[in-house]
Amino acid sequence: MRTGPACLAGPVGLTPESMHHFPPDPASDAEALLLARYAGGDAAAARVLASQLAPRLFAHAVRVLGDGHEAEDVTQEALLRLWKIAPDWRAGEAKVSTWCYRVVANLCTDRLRKRRSVPLEDVAEPADPRPDAAQLLQQRARADALQAALQSLPDRQRQAVVLRHIEGLANPEIAQILDIGVEAVESLTARGKRGLVAALAGQKEALGYET
Amino acid sequence: MTKSEHSDDVLEALFAEARSHPPALPDRVLARVIEDARRLQPSSAGNRMRGWWRMLGGLPGLGGLVTATCVGFWLGVAPPEGMPDLADQILGQQVMADETAPDLSGFGWDIEEG
Repeated sequence: MRTGPACLAGPVGLTPESMHHFPPDPASDAEALLLARYAGGDAAAARVLASQLAPRLFAHAVRVLGDGHEAEDVTQEALLRLWKIAPDWRAGEAKVSTWCYRVVANLCTDRLRKRRSVPLEDVAEPADPRPDAAQLLQQRARADALQAALQSLPDRQRQAVVLRHIEGLANPEIAQILDIGVEAVESLTARGKRGLVAALAGQKEALGYET
Repeated sequence: MTKSEHSDDVLEALFAEARSHPPALPDRVLARVIEDARRLQPSSAGNRMRGWWRMLGGLPGLGGLVTATCVGFWLGVAPPEGMPDLADQILGQQVMADETAPDLSGFGWDIEEG
């Protein structure tokens, strides 16, 4: 996807009103304020908001999809929908970032339904400024191992584990993003962690961890 | 340390490493996102129109107005049986009023004033 209204077509029919259960915090108020400024004609506000949201959404999409190129498209599409809905956004009814995560989660689910196997070589490499060669190899091995283990999980478990343990979101917010109850989130993350432990069993030494 | 605790530690270490090395968003993607925002940014004229639209109640308000207009028009064209024809009554009363109005010229004021 690059540009164009066709990318707006899809099954993600979310409105801020449909997500008003999660109370906004000061950070989300700042995001909502930026969105309001954008809707009012402030181009700089969009740059700031995009710089804040796009890396987080992209990171989540990469880890869920295991494909950097698809994650780029998902990120762009999710934010495209945000720009579209900006004039109708009602501050205080939903967190902007939660809404975006939910769009990304749904878009990822749609893409995962269309394909089941993911080549790991397409996974985006972690950004690391100055590691030496051995460290870099070790980090890549660990990142690849985690990504491979994540890919072995069912889609919903993977989404929940990434949101909880890597993105660091709270369970109530994850419940909103995945449109499930908090208890279901706890169950998904617990089962997901067990699945990861099983998938990583026997690799501790190879990953540089003492046994 | 039990085997389970050790496995959890390894997993937590992998999570921590993943958190500290998030996938880097390519600059070209951020540029595309910002270009989308620029292209879709509402104009100030559009904002004014949107303000009026909201003030009028938006789509529900327009729906109510159209419904009321259609019902009123239909009642005017084909009033239900038994409904008093207000137009006739009003016009008829006006005619009667004309007939029963006192003839002020009968007082002879015009004659008295010469």
